[in-house]
Amino acid sequence: MTAVLTRLREVAVVRRNNRTDWILLGTLLALSGFGLLMIYSATRNVGTFSMERQMIFVAAGLIIFAVASNIDYREYRSILPAASLITLILLVAVFFFPEINGAQRWIPLGFFNLQPAELAKVVVIVALASLLAPQASRDELALGPRTLSWGKIAQALLVVLIPGVLIFLEPDLGTSLVFGFILFGMLFVGGANWRQLTALLSVVGLGALIVWRFDLLQEHQLDRLAVLWDETIDPQGIGYQLRQSKSAIGSGQLTGRGLFAEDTFTGFQYVPEAENDFIFTAVAEQLGFVGGILVMVAFVILVWRLLVIASNARDRFGALIASGIACMIAFHVFVNIGMTIGIMPVTGIPLPFMSQGGSFYMSMTLALGIANSVWLMRTPVPGENQLT
Amino acid sequence: MKFAVRLSILGMAFIAMFAILGLRLWFVQVAQGPDIAQAAEDQTWLIKTTHASRGDIYDRNGVPLVTSRLVPAVFIDRTFVQPEDRDILIQRISSLLAMEPSDLQLLYDEAGTNGRFQVATVNTTAAYQISEQLATLPGVEIVNVPERVYLSGDTMAHVIGHLGLPDQADLDEREGLDPTVRIGKLGVEKYYDEVLQGTSGTYEYRVRRGEIIDEQPAVPPVPGSSIILTTDSELQTVVELALEEGIRLSNEVKDQDRAAGEDVFSETSRAAAVVLDPQTFEVLAMASVPDFDPQLFVTGIDSETFSALNESFAFNNLAVSGLYPPASTFKAITYSAFLEKGLPLPADTDGIDPANREVNCDGQLIFELNDGSAEVKTDWYAPSELGWLDLHGALENSCNKYFWSVGLGAWQAREQIGENVLQDWAKELGYGSATGIDLANEAPGIVPTRELFEEWAEYQRENPDEPPRLDPGRLNPELASPFFGGDLMDFAIGQGAFTATPLQAAVSYAALANGGEVMEPRVVDRVIGPDGELIEDVTSPVVRTVDISEATRRDLLTDLNKVVTTGTAAAAFEDFGPGLEMVGGKTGTGETTATRDNHAWFVGVAPIDNPQYVVAVIIEEGGSGGAIAAPVARHILQYLMNNEPTPILAGDPTD
Repeated sequence: MTAVLTRLREVAVVRRNNRTDWILLGTLLALSGFGLLMIYSATRNVGTFSMERQMIFVAAGLIIFAVASNIDYREYRSILPAASLITLILLVAVFFFPEINGAQRWIPLGFFNLQPAELAKVVVIVALASLLAPQASRDELALGPRTLSWGKIAQALLVVLIPGVLIFLEPDLGTSLVFGFILFGMLFVGGANWRQLTALLSVVGLGALIVWRFDLLQEHQLDRLAVLWDETIDPQGIGYQLRQSKSAIGSGQLTGRGLFAEDTFTGFQYVPEAENDFIFTAVAEQLGFVGGILVMVAFVILVWRLLVIASNARDRFGALIASGIACMIAFHVFVNIGMTIGIMPVTGIPLPFMSQGGSFYMSMTLALGIANSVWLMRTPVPGENQLT
Repeated sequence: MKFAVRLSILGMAFIAMFAILGLRLWFVQVAQGPDIAQAAEDQTWLIKTTHASRGDIYDRNGVPLVTSRLVPAVFIDRTFVQPEDRDILIQRISSLLAMEPSDLQLLYDEAGTNGRFQVATVNTTAAYQISEQLATLPGVEIVNVPERVYLSGDTMAHVIGHLGLPDQADLDEREGLDPTVRIGKLGVEKYYDEVLQGTSGTYEYRVRRGEIIDEQPAVPPVPGSSIILTTDSELQTVVELALEEGIRLSNEVKDQDRAAGEDVFSETSRAAAVVLDPQTFEVLAMASVPDFDPQLFVTGIDSETFSALNESFAFNNLAVSGLYPPASTFKAITYSAFLEKGLPLPADTDGIDPANREVNCDGQLIFELNDGSAEVKTDWYAPSELGWLDLHGALENSCNKYFWSVGLGAWQAREQIGENVLQDWAKELGYGSATGIDLANEAPGIVPTRELFEEWAEYQRENPDEPPRLDPGRLNPELASPFFGGDLMDFAIGQGAFTATPLQAAVSYAALANGGEVMEPRVVDRVIGPDGELIEDVTSPVVRTVDISEATRRDLLTDLNKVVTTGTAAAAFEDFGPGLEMVGGKTGTGETTATRDNHAWFVGVAPIDNPQYVVAVIIEEGGSGGAIAAPVARHILQYLMNNEPTPILAGDPTD
């Protein structure tokens, strides 16, 4: 008992100088607060309590961030099989609940609808990191150059495909694409060579071909792609949303029409889902190019911090987790903002920390909490196994 | 590759992604922003249109024929309907109007976000009921909309026309057409649609959550201009009744013929007539039987009624779209060509005296073909022994042999006088091309020539599967041409492949009667504004002036008078009353095929000293011109010449 206390004291002394990544946390808080403001702006004339609801999720998310920060991320390796199993069960469970808006993505829990796919993103990142990082082996240096075997590539593909296909069937094409991007990014960071990456891209191409040939995409999913070229498609639905979004952003111009300004598109639901997937539209309309760029800068800082965390991680496992999270956030931001300005298809991918939504917000803060844990644990403690 | 390098590459990829977003955002907001903002600003304004009242239509004496009245209609403006109220609103309105909720829902969905649409016109009681409940029916409006009223029923239906919703072809053809507003589909309603239509009024406003937050002053609709026709509704009624009497008479005669064991192929059911002023080319009356009531298209016509009418040709204005061989009525044109062009009669042919320009009208023309073999044309209808006749007697008695001889003479002399002398003359007088009347769907007709037959023959050789226009024997490659001398001879009596509309027959007589001026006939006299001010005085432009000497004109009119006094129409005009010496005309009996009855024709002119009226009458498959069409025309001419019209009884069968 004394030995354990002594050990803990030693660890505490070594890590005294390791503080939470304040830039990371600060950016998270700024984006969340700004998100609440924009949700309020987009819904204040409709009379819903969207912002109040989201405040609860933000509070819960920050607690999750704090808890995850204080759990040694290396512990996740041991609970990974259980976590994976629970996630899979949840992903299958959604098919037993009634459709909402033509899709089965949610498990109703009364006070909110749990979206297991959001949790799956974090679990898959940890699982991939665990798979691609060197195991406790004296032969390999945890931070040295390293190659991946083809077997590893295949396993990684499997880790992503199982949840990816389930989510594709919900259907939620956008989220399943997030998994593809995470896989590609983490394999690259994890040491895959060009041939392996090319092979992976070929598999993706083949998959796309199969989906195309066998008409696995529904008509509205194809419309979402085609509408980028032809704005007249689905003029009451997706085409309307996209046109309205572009009109709103265009009228924002350099400095915006003013926060809470009268007659805005996003203030009066003329852009459907302006508090949700189209929250960036509300920012760009009301605060203009300046506001939009500031939001993007915040995300650049966030991604930059995650890459810094990755490069400072004590082991490859942590580095891979941090870079996987960076990939996830960058892809979300790119697809979401790209959608509102008409260069990416409307796939229903929300904007991290800003879009309304409980599961998404909490899984994002969980991810950042884990990354923060990687940051906090970056300094080795004497006597610890450095290679894991 | 080192781990740090890989992380850096990933970072650069992220920077590239963000750079793309930033550039695109710059493009949308700053580079294009002002344009998009302007377009967006325009887009938030909603426009409510108020349909203009269509202009009225009057006859030449100011008798109102068509007008518009205001009737209440139920509109739904989706701007003021909250999405959650939609279903209950559809339920309530459909039960109030006794319509299927699914039909209303379809209209509702088609109108689109912020759309405003007319649900239905309603009677005053229903309008009152609904307006009592308006407070609890958000988005529902009761608006008075103009509705067409056809005061004249089915009289003059083909000239007036009817309305209908624009189809895809209309929408493609005319820009800015409102697909919910009826447009003219036939007659003057169609031809003058843009004049009658008027300009819709607009009211622009902006709405937020069902509240109007901004508005522009309303622009009231500008009613359409009104039209005064050249037609006289009283005369029109006389003409239409006369045609129906003619059809009845024709069927009566057919019954007698059938009883006598003669071949009768069909019941007579169709007829057409035109009354034209030869000095101005104003159409004084134009009728086509069967007809329809244009009001049917306002209240809604069911498909059964529509197809029954359509199959009976009720929507076809036979006066301008019906094609018939002009038959012996064309002899007046051959007559004038013979005199004006100095056409030769054939030499060395039995029964033809080219020096005295006389022909022995014994019913048979025996002539030689180029190879010397004999050809016989027999006149089955004319009395066989008319004896030797000059041109005047030949017209009076409608002697086919004389006019065949004219055709034969022209054929034999074609190298010297040109092969199309007769056809060109006909074309100058308006045959073979649309007259240009201000009505749609005019048929041009066919004037057969060698060139046309060769064209047809070539087409027929290349498209053997299509129905042939020429007898296959004419395609024999050993023949010099598919067009024969016999074809020109038939043309001279208005037969063969030759077809024309009743209007073309009237136009050619009008030109002959006025000394050679061919104008565009018209049914509209002038266009007036809502306050009666003149907007456009429509006049008929002179299309061509045909060179006809005064002597020929006088001779022709005198001979046309002989037709009704002592010639083929004498029996039909027997009880014309005073002024018969002022009336002229020509009978015609159009041969069709061996299994169809002949078309009965009559084209009349009056008064012959100063022609004011040309009357063309055709009873389709009605029988003999002298027996059936001449009495109908006589009845109309009696009215025109202020005589009491006498009953339509059969005249003598002729030509």
